[in-house]
Formats: sequence, C-alpha cells, structure tokens
Amino acid sequence: MAEAVLFYLFAAGVLAGGSQVVLRRNPIYGAVSLVGCFFFLAGIYVLLSAHLIAILQVLVYAGAVMVLFVFVIMLLNLKEEELGELRFTFWKVVGLVAVLATAAVIAWRALGPAYPSTGPARDNAILLAAEGFGGVKAVGRTLYLAAVLPFELTSLLLLVAIVAAVVVAKGKI
Amino acid sequence: MQDFIDNLIRSWGHDPAAWPWTQFLYLAFMGAAAFIVVNFAAISAGIFSWAERRVAARMQSRVGPNRVGPFGFLQWVADAVKLLLKEDLVPAEADAVLFRAAPYFMMVGFACVFVCLPFSHKLIVADLNIGIFYILAVTALIVVGIIMSGWSSNSKWSLFGAIRSAAQIISYEIPAGMALMIPVLLAGTLSTQGIIRAQGGWPWQWFIFDNPAAFAAFFIYFISALAEGNRTPFDLPEAESELVSGYNTEYSGMRFSYFFLVEWGNMWVMSAIATTMFLGGWQLPGLSPARFDALTGGVAVIAEIASLALFAFKTLFFVFVVMWLRWTLPRIRVDQMMNMCWKYLVPASFAGALFVAAWMLLVHEAPWLGQAMRFALTAIAAVTVAAFALRTLKNLRDTGDKFDFTSNW
Amino acid sequence: MNNIHSLRFFWPESVLTVAVLAMLVQDLLVRRSPRRVGLLTIGALFWLALTALATWRTPWGNFPIFGGLLVHDPLRIFFAWLFLAAALLTVVIVPRSKEISSARLGEFFALLFALLLGMYLMASAADLLLIYLSIETVSLVSYVLTGFQRGRRRANEAALKYVIYGGVASGIMLYGISILYGLFGTTRVAGEGGIGAQLADVTSRLFLAHAFGGQPAAQLALVVAVVFLLAGVGYKIAAVPFHMWSPDVYEGAPTPFTAFLSVGPKAAGFAVAIRFFFAAFERQLPGGGYAQVGDLPWPAIIGIISAISMTLGNLTAIVQSNVKRLLAYSSIAHAGYLLMGLAAASTAGVQSILIYLIIYVLMNVGAFLVVIAVSRETGGEDIKDFRGLGTRAPIAALALVIFLFSLTGIPPFAGFIGKYLIFAAVVQRGGFWNVLLAVIGVLNSAISLFYYARLIKAMYLEEAIDQRPFRVPAVYTGVLVALAVPNSFLIFYWTPLVRWAAAAFGGSPSS
Repeated sequence: MAEAVLFYLFAAGVLAGGSQVVLRRNPIYGAVSLVGCFFFLAGIYVLLSAHLIAILQVLVYAGAVMVLFVFVIMLLNLKEEELGELRFTFWKVVGLVAVLATAAVIAWRALGPAYPSTGPARDNAILLAAEGFGGVKAVGRTLYLAAVLPFELTSLLLLVAIVAAVVVAKGKI
Repeated sequence: MQDFIDNLIRSWGHDPAAWPWTQFLYLAFMGAAAFIVVNFAAISAGIFSWAERRVAARMQSRVGPNRVGPFGFLQWVADAVKLLLKEDLVPAEADAVLFRAAPYFMMVGFACVFVCLPFSHKLIVADLNIGIFYILAVTALIVVGIIMSGWSSNSKWSLFGAIRSAAQIISYEIPAGMALMIPVLLAGTLSTQGIIRAQGGWPWQWFIFDNPAAFAAFFIYFISALAEGNRTPFDLPEAESELVSGYNTEYSGMRFSYFFLVEWGNMWVMSAIATTMFLGGWQLPGLSPARFDALTGGVAVIAEIASLALFAFKTLFFVFVVMWLRWTLPRIRVDQMMNMCWKYLVPASFAGALFVAAWMLLVHEAPWLGQAMRFALTAIAAVTVAAFALRTLKNLRDTGDKFDFTSNW
Repeated sequence: MNNIHSLRFFWPESVLTVAVLAMLVQDLLVRRSPRRVGLLTIGALFWLALTALATWRTPWGNFPIFGGLLVHDPLRIFFAWLFLAAALLTVVIVPRSKEISSARLGEFFALLFALLLGMYLMASAADLLLIYLSIETVSLVSYVLTGFQRGRRRANEAALKYVIYGGVASGIMLYGISILYGLFGTTRVAGEGGIGAQLADVTSRLFLAHAFGGQPAAQLALVVAVVFLLAGVGYKIAAVPFHMWSPDVYEGAPTPFTAFLSVGPKAAGFAVAIRFFFAAFERQLPGGGYAQVGDLPWPAIIGIISAISMTLGNLTAIVQSNVKRLLAYSSIAHAGYLLMGLAAASTAGVQSILIYLIIYVLMNVGAFLVVIAVSRETGGEDIKDFRGLGTRAPIAALALVIFLFSLTGIPPFAGFIGKYLIFAAVVQRGGFWNVLLAVIGVLNSAISLFYYARLIKAMYLEEAIDQRPFRVPAVYTGVLVALAVPNSFLIFYWTPLVRWAAAAFGGSPSS
C-alpha cells in the first residue's frame, strides 16, 4: 500500500519534471527540472530495491552530469530575446495530437495487456528479487561476470568519446 | 533503531508485529531522530562559528568575541537572532523563485548527510548498506544549490563564484571519492558502521596506518574535502578580494545564514567522515566490536558514552585543524587548484586504489607483512608528531608567547 | 562459453582495441616527423594486417561466446572481412586526400579503428544490450569523423544533424529494447532462454506465453517494440523514414569517410537486422530453411520500408546537382534493394544480401573515389565539375562509368548479379505482395539509370571550361582499376561469391 502511494508520487514527479524539461523556454529551468526528475527516478529505483543504482543515479546524473549541463547553459547565458517566441502553429498541434494518440495506443492497447497486473508476470518479478538483490555485491557480480564485455566496451566508448571531444573542440592539437 | 523500538514495545507488554501503533511509533521516532540531527547540525555549525573566531583571534594575537556570555560563547546565538530579524532582500532583477529556493537545496543536501554519519557504537540514524556512497551522492544537492544561487542572483560576482565553486566541487569529488574507496576496499563494505567495525581501537589498527597508500589517501581525502567545503586554501569561490563574497553576495538575513550554516556544519561532516573512514571511529582501545555488542546494563551505557566522547574528540580535533589551516595558509590561484586536482590528486588516488588492491593480495599471502607495516607506519607517525610538538615548544621558549592572557580574555 | 574461454574467439576485437590505443600513441611519437603521413599510414596498415591475421586465424565454429552476448559463427567472419575491406580502402585513400590534414591523421586512424571495432561487435552481437552499445560506438565515432574538418560550416552542420537524428533514433530504439525486455525478461536474442527460444516455445513457462494466449494486444506490444528497434537499425542503414541525415552527412563529411560510411556501417546495420530477425522470429527447420514463429508480420514491415526507401531515394536523387548528395540518395535506394532480400525472409534472400553487399563495397567506394579525385582538382563536387572528365582523366571517367552502370544493375556489370539474386529470392518466395515488391524494385532500377546517366552525359558529352588534363594520384588509379576489374568481369565467374555466402548463412543449424 505504502509502496503504491510512493510509486505514484515518484512517477508523478518524474512526469512533471520531464515535461517541464521540454516545455520550459528557459534552459536553466529545464535543467533544474531535469535534476528533480532524476531524484524522483532515483526514488523509483529504491522502490525496485535497486539501492545502488538509485545512489548512482543521484551521484552521476543529478550530481555531475547535470552540473555540467547547467554550467554550459550559464556560460552561454542566453537573454530573453535570444530564446525565441513560443508559438503554436497548426503543425505543432497536429504533432501534439499525433504523439498523444500514439502514446495512448501504446499505453492502453499494447502495453496494458502485455504487462498484466496479476498472474505469472507479477510472481515472476517477485521471484527475481533474490537475497541481496540490488546491493553492491549483486550488481558487482553481474557487472564483472555476466556483463563484463558490455562493461569493457562502455569504457572503450568513453575513451573514444574523450578523444573525439578533444578532436572536435580543440583548434590546434 | 528498529530493534530498539521493538524491544521497547515488548517491554510495555505488546507484540510489535501485532500492536496497531507500531508503525506510528516508528514514524514518531524517525521524526524525532530527524529533528535531533538537523538541530545538531545547526547548533554545531553555530558553535563552530564562535570557535573559529576565537581560534583566529588567538592565532593573530587578538581577543575575538568575548562579551556575550562566558568567553563570548553566546555570541553565535546573538548573531543568529540578528540574522533572523534582518530583512530578507531579493534583488529586483533576480530570478525570484530560484533565488529563494537555492538555500533550501543546500540545507537539504547538508542535512541528508547526517543520516549515515555515525556518532557512537549504537548512535546512527540509519546504517545503510551503501552508506558512504550515499553521503557522496547527497552532497550533489549542495552543488545544485550553489549553482542556483549564483545564477539566480543575476550578479557577476555571484555567477563567477558559483562557476568556480561548482567546478571545484565536481573536480575534487573524484579524488575524494577514490580516496574513500581505499578504506572501503580494506573493509569490504560501504556501510559506515561496518567500516568502523573493520578497524580497531588502537592506532595501529586504524585504516590510516594500514599501508602507505591508505596513509596517502587520508591526506588526499582531507585536501579534497577542504576544497569541496570551500575552505582555505581553496576558498576561491568566496574570495573577498576578487568576488566580494561569491555566490552568496546578494543574500541577506536568514537565507544568508543558511549558506554559512552549511559551510561551518560541513567542517563536522568532513572531519567525521575522516574519523570514520581512517581513524577507527568510535572504537575503544581494547574493546572489540563483538565484545562491545555483548555488553549489557550500566557498563554498556558507560562504554557507549565513552565511544561517543572518543568519536567527538577525534572529530573536533580535525575541526580545529581545519580552522588552523584557514588562518595559516594563503589562498591558491584557480589554475593551481585545478592542476593540483587533476594532475596530482586524481592520478595519485587511482594509483593508491590499485596499490591497496595489490597490497591486500600480498598481505593475504603474508599476514606478518601487514602487521609490520602497521606498526612501522604508526611509529613513524608518532615520531613525527613528537618532533613537531618539541619543535613548537622550542619555538615558544625561544620567542615567548606574545599573547596577553590577563586582560579581556 | 565463459568469458575466459571466449577470448580465443575474440582476437580480432582485442587487436583492434590495442590498435586504437597504439594509433594514438604513434600519433604522439611521430608528431614532428617529416614523414608523418607515411609512417602513420604504415602503422594503420600494420594494425589492419594484424586484425586480418587474427580474423583469419579465428577457429571456425557456430556457438555463443561470452555467455551468449556474442555469437561466433560464419556470418560474423563474413562481415568481418567485408568491414576489413572497406577499412583497407579508406586507409589507402585517406593519405592522398586533401580533406584530412596530416596533423589530425593519427586521430582519424584511431577513431576509424574504434569504428571498425564497433562494427565487428555489431556483426556478432546476440544480446540487445550489446547491440545497442555497439551501434552507439559506431554512431559516436561517425558523428566525430563527419565533423572532422572543424573549419567547414557544412561539416559542422552535418555533424550536428547527425548527432540530433542519431540521438532520437537511439532513444526510440532503447524504448523498443526496454519493451522487449519487459515482455521477455531477458536481453538475449538467441540461445537458451532467449527471445527466439521463448517465442518458439508455446508452452514457455514465462509469462509471455500466457499473455499471448489468444491476446492479440500483447502481440501489438511486440510489433511496437520491433518497429522501435528498427529505428536504430534503419538509421544505420539509412532507410526511410530514418534517412533524413544521410544527404547532409554524406555531403558534409570528408569524402573518404563518406565512402566508408556508405558501405561499412550500412553493412553492419544489415548484420544486426539479419541476426536479430532470424534469431528471434524465425525457427530453423531440420531440413534447411526457416519457419516463422510468434505470428509477427516482420517481413511485411520490412517490405513496406524497402519499397518506400528505394522509391523515395531514387526519385529524390533525380533532382540533385551535388554528386555526393546524389550518391547519398542512391545509397538510400540501395538500402531499399537490400531490405528486399530481408523481406523475403528466406535463406536465399539473406545470401543475396551478402553477395550484394560485397559488390556494393566494390562499386560504391569506387564511385566515391572518383569524386575524391575530381574534387582534389576542381575543388567542387557538383555535376558541372565532372564536365569533360572523359578527356581530362580518361581512366577515372571510364572507371566511374563502370561503377555507375554497376550501381544501376545493367547486365554485364557486377551490380546485375546482386540485383538479379535479390529479385530472384523475392519472386521465389511467391505471393502477390512479394512479386509486387520485385516489380517496384525493377521499376526503380530503371529510374536510377536516369540520374546515373546524367553524370555520364556530363562527363562525355559536355565541354569543360578548363580543358587541361588533371593528375590522379597513382594510388587512386591503382585502386580504381582494382575495383573496376571485378565490377566488369565478375559476371563471368561468380560461383565463389555464392559459395561464400552459402557458407556464411544457412549452413549448419546454430547450436
């Protein structure tokens, strides 16, 4: 019961934060909303008993990544007039309706029946949460045994991304 | 804490599982714990503000605040009352919403840290299994608060201060985090109480003296924590000569006091983390954690109080060191600060983590090596401290203390 | 197979990882050397040769490695050779091109090797997580190499467009992957307990079987997931509606990299598509061939995308005046032709894709090489810059004619073999819609002749303002000849291609 209440609370927070990111014209507000969104998301991870992931979410995304975002936005320091006018054109309305309709179809017609709220699907999910699930040890074992290849590939990807950033950004190498 | 409440309910003659009020009692205790913790944070920050001014005065051969209360101790209360009564100004061009919200972000980030900070053998709000990681993570809110305050003030000084501060904090988070991973490696757990339990009461059982890399890691952590707390010699974000007062330039009244509350309260936090991770925390010499757990009755209470006192003593000593550094060292430049972080501390902390992992394998094969290293490092540290003390006494003898203890003190 | 034992089959990728780092270090070592370009090229060729050796020495087999994250099978090796060929051509072309400055050549090679590594992994990934990561590796490097000429506005614009479209496409793909994970509780595509196995097993203990019990709505979730996943793959192969980036990127990127981009990542995208669809939604029959599982109409989805891609690509190509843009639209159309082979959903279809990809590397890289040679001299890539090429650079012009006819699919040239096999595979599958798809394909080939011929007309029938003959570097002439010869004479002896493709796909059942 308490879990359900918290879930809806966090989910509402995520949705509100996420929509603010898109709808706000001022990028600083967008970034701050994204921080809020990340915190609520971390709350949902805690409900899924993935404590480590929740903390990583806060540490890496809300902490480091978002600060860099805000940093860039602050350095650009856009003025009101540079942000442009928010106009509702015909095609934007058409696009909005299309997006909402697609989302509704996916949510109710496709995902609803695919994820029944009772029955084997639920039992299976509960079975999955074994002893120590979501802790440092469990995540570590998965990361370094079952998923060591993706892990290493990610590290290479990050290295290449750093090299790439220098190549793109630095005038004289 | 849950066990304690369950026992309490049992002592009243109810079954905690069946009694309808159990959940409410939990909630009440959680509320009480939160209240105590937040107040501890605020009051300790207030007292430190007084202590720092007294220490500064002593170092500069002057008097410092000495009128309100004995030794001027109540000065911080007077200051707090003054700040509360002052007008809360919001600059006309500022972004009002973010401007008002920023101090709360900082307060929340700061107060959340105390959830996982141990005080004694039993005294901790929640011993999370990801404790130290949690502490590192929630500090992120402080950065968000600083950035919000700097940007929303719509003032150049604030913006520059905020940018400097954010760059400094996210840079130094890396060496600090890596240095803290060394005790985590040694203890095999992230829980703060678990790390303390993995150490011992005697100095050679502390993690700081476990091996050379851990010894270095302590200093890396301490330097990084100074930088993260915007303390001298890393107080560039608030450099008076350059930036007026940094990100809090435009603030006044109560909101202004929040920033300083966080800054002074942070001294306790960083010192307590150093004590927990490297200096054996609340461990009493000669009393192993297992025997501590087994104690009952009055002895247990005495041991508890002793462990609390020991922890507080170690922590307060480092709080004093932080103040001491502030009034001794000059401020460094921005480029020096960044160089120091990225070119020295970050590589050193990574190398240290690798060294410790290798060292643990080695000690696993040859346990005597670990013991020998512990004793050797402890001995070296003891000799260094003794030499420092002797030298200081000699200096005092030669020049004499110029301070006048008779009047006004 | 566990991680340590799998390393035996992971040599090519390991060598490439070292190569990325080695190129960066070598770049620093030869910083001030006067023979920098030569030394770096030799270094790159050395690492390519070592990778080729590792690929060649990898033991033959057909089994999952790294606990099912990758599949080691002949298809993987086939694509590895294809990628190596494309990379070799790029490494040979780049040093004499004026578009990559010698100061940044080291980084170019290092990033190219990272790209190659990503494509290798794409060709063998049998896990949604790894599919995503390898696609992301390829994309990330592609963005940077596209914007490699920092000073050029077009390059920056192209790179930015590429990043934005790429971000959207991978976001959609991740959503699809998350739905799939939710449905099946696993990210494995093939093997024990994978998506394919769960779909094939109607009595599966997992909930999907229950959810599928007469509930078409749960199947709708599967369709949505697959369509979303197709966004990522379609983006890599530049199929409609994820093609928007390709004309701008092809135009803005340095041409040697455009040549690589048009064949390498496209082939890798097909590798992912083939592996994903055949492992997840097809069941191998004991007597050879495939049968569909799970009632998912994926061939129909692919068929529609295929028809739209080739029609739109060809029709838009007609109005282009920039040759790189023209070739970009032509490559969208070719993605359409190739998808026809996938839509056939048969062994013959996939084999025809493999053969077509080999030929496509030969003809498309050749066409781009002529563009590089021309823009070196004239400084432009418009059709008007090709005027009088027949007299100014006869060999290059003749080679381009061969490549263009081959791209059209006119009989004596190699392109015809590829198209013939693909159309044959689709018609063989039978049914009204398949035959209609083949007819659309043939009509499109006719349309494409129109714009390819425009280029040929410019070269031979229109007079250039500047009549002086121009110098094509000897390396380029050599490569052009080496590419033109198989394009012209493959028609007489193409059994090895068929045998090779047959060995790569549809041989023995996968374990």
